[in-house]
Amino acid sequence: MSPANGGDDGIERTKNGGTPDRTKNGGASDRTGNDGTLEHASDELVVETEGLTKRYGPDAAVEDLSLSVESGEIYGFLGPNGAGKSTTINLLMDYVRPTEGSIRVLGLDPRADVVDVHQRVGILPDGFSVYENRTARDHLRLVIDTKGTDDHPEALLERVGLAEAIDDDAGSYSRGMRQRLALAMALVGEPDLLILDEPFSGLDPHGVRTVREIAHEENERGATIFFSSHVLGQVELVCDRMGILHEGELVAEGTLEELRAEAPVTTELELVVDGDPERARRAASGVSGVVDASVAMAGAPSSDESSSVEAGPPSADVDGEPTPSATTATAPAADTVVVRLESTDRREDVIAAVEEAGVAIRRADLEEPSVESIFVAQTEEAADGGELR
Amino acid sequence: MRWYPLAREEARALLRSKGVWLLALALLLWTYRPSYTVWNELGPDMTIGFLQFAGGIVVPIAAVILGYRAIAGERASGSLKLLLGLPLTRGEILAGKVVGRLAGIAIPMVLALGIVTAAGVVQYGLFSPRRYLAVFAVTVLYLLALVSIVISVSAIVRRTTTAAAMLFIGFILLLDIGWQMFVPGIYSRLAGVPVNPYDPPAEGGLFLMDRLSPTGAYNVATNGILDAGNSAWHHPSAIWALQPSHSSNALAVGEAFDPGTAPLYLHEAGGVVILVAWIVVPLSIAYLRFDEGDLA
Repeated sequence: MSPANGGDDGIERTKNGGTPDRTKNGGASDRTGNDGTLEHASDELVVETEGLTKRYGPDAAVEDLSLSVESGEIYGFLGPNGAGKSTTINLLMDYVRPTEGSIRVLGLDPRADVVDVHQRVGILPDGFSVYENRTARDHLRLVIDTKGTDDHPEALLERVGLAEAIDDDAGSYSRGMRQRLALAMALVGEPDLLILDEPFSGLDPHGVRTVREIAHEENERGATIFFSSHVLGQVELVCDRMGILHEGELVAEGTLEELRAEAPVTTELELVVDGDPERARRAASGVSGVVDASVAMAGAPSSDESSSVEAGPPSADVDGEPTPSATTATAPAADTVVVRLESTDRREDVIAAVEEAGVAIRRADLEEPSVESIFVAQTEEAADGGELR
Repeated sequence: MRWYPLAREEARALLRSKGVWLLALALLLWTYRPSYTVWNELGPDMTIGFLQFAGGIVVPIAAVILGYRAIAGERASGSLKLLLGLPLTRGEILAGKVVGRLAGIAIPMVLALGIVTAAGVVQYGLFSPRRYLAVFAVTVLYLLALVSIVISVSAIVRRTTTAAAMLFIGFILLLDIGWQMFVPGIYSRLAGVPVNPYDPPAEGGLFLMDRLSPTGAYNVATNGILDAGNSAWHHPSAIWALQPSHSSNALAVGEAFDPGTAPLYLHEAGGVVILVAWIVVPLSIAYLRFDEGDLA
């Protein structure tokens, strides 16, 4: 049993603990406790795949996937059901073997160095089941003793909110309790990389919050978090960066801002103006990056204009916020200009142009595309007019 | 020994199940079988012979029932994913499974046999401790062979039902219960030699085939230790077959070969070699298959 999470590592952690860009040096260097390696480790990739392909017969579950997850980040791996997320995670963990391509996890080969990789990775798998006739304590003891760490089952279960069921038969647990137990198992040994496959599934809102908090706590401790999800509402709250997987291929990757900027989804900017709205419209449409601009009129003629605008991206109600376009559409709209932007960062230019044209802006509402609308746009575009429509 | 915690948890879970304790109860009732034939031949060592009754039907069936789902079942349910995430190689997972199941079955089995042994000593006096220990050791080796076969099949097939079908039909029915009945017929087909089991020909191949099953090999080795005759049948049958006044379909080397003329490979120690092969061969195949493919 290798004391991989031994003294050196602990010292290293307290020194660097809490810094968001805390770098994890991959490979054996971590274990040597050599502080000198920390400086170069900033560009170290925790997960790196190149041309990763997994075929089952003629069907590719994952196709030519090149992923890179940097040390210290929270990476959200998104995609509809069946997109290949779990297959990718199974490949990273060496549960299944790639047809083609290469994988490095913490700088190591998941197959040849399976013991070292798993020693430093905590995983909450998807589609697992717990052992009937074994308690939560039994489950945790197996992981703790195999990893050779000195974690306490009580403390781990406390963190995931399952402490009171520690000596109950796990076979009697609800879905959410099983999920919490598996999360506790993933936390054993302060992993450098925490892989959470669909961590929110089967959880009630409290459970969802627990997962989110633990992801942040672990990340602050210095762990890199890689999680997959199709529950998009949670994603914005948790991740630094995300990749969208569709039919085994990565169709978009970046921070939420980057994804918004490059997504084929327009952002709506509503300007309530004092002055000539037509003049404002003309000024706005001259700005580069503006798809179109229109004056929202009160009364019958405007209705199809405003509805066409609303029919654009699935709007903000998924975020749980009131939809601004809906409120302004019913308000006296004669002085409202709706500008559709290619990306959110065009907003300042539009406002500047309108003001330059001598029209005062009373209010500007930006309706940013949600992760969901980006997701839908990306995965539909990749389907290319296919069966999804 | 990274797999030790895995083996420990496997054994604990098994010891908490009812199945192994039913096995212990069955062994108590099944193995205590005193008889005049055996007493006349072995005297107090008859008690050692009780251990041998554990082989044959009860323990193989128990090993299958308690083990066929060990890996196939976990694969189907998804609990295997919890094991695969541990810092263990796949070979270590296999080792942990085999050792854990072995311990989980062996502990109640040893308790039951201990009680039977105590009863035998009280009733029939003290046996040869050296022979007892030797038979005990071979019994553990036999149990390991059974567990290895069961876990290997469970690791190779994808579905629990396939594992159950292979083990109950292929292993229990053909290789365990039916083997000694089928051998004369199969051998006479293969070798073209007529075989009358009541008066077997001096054919080395026939006798070798008879002892190739795990239980046959176990009986050969333990009969050798007990001096109950060189036969793959359990010791009362072996003793019976060698008595000139009786006619039996049990094959005993002494029936067919004159003293000193039997081929070397029919030596009783060969039983141990065959048992070892039943451990090594299935586990090797299982390891190669389990280590290769996709498990999720």
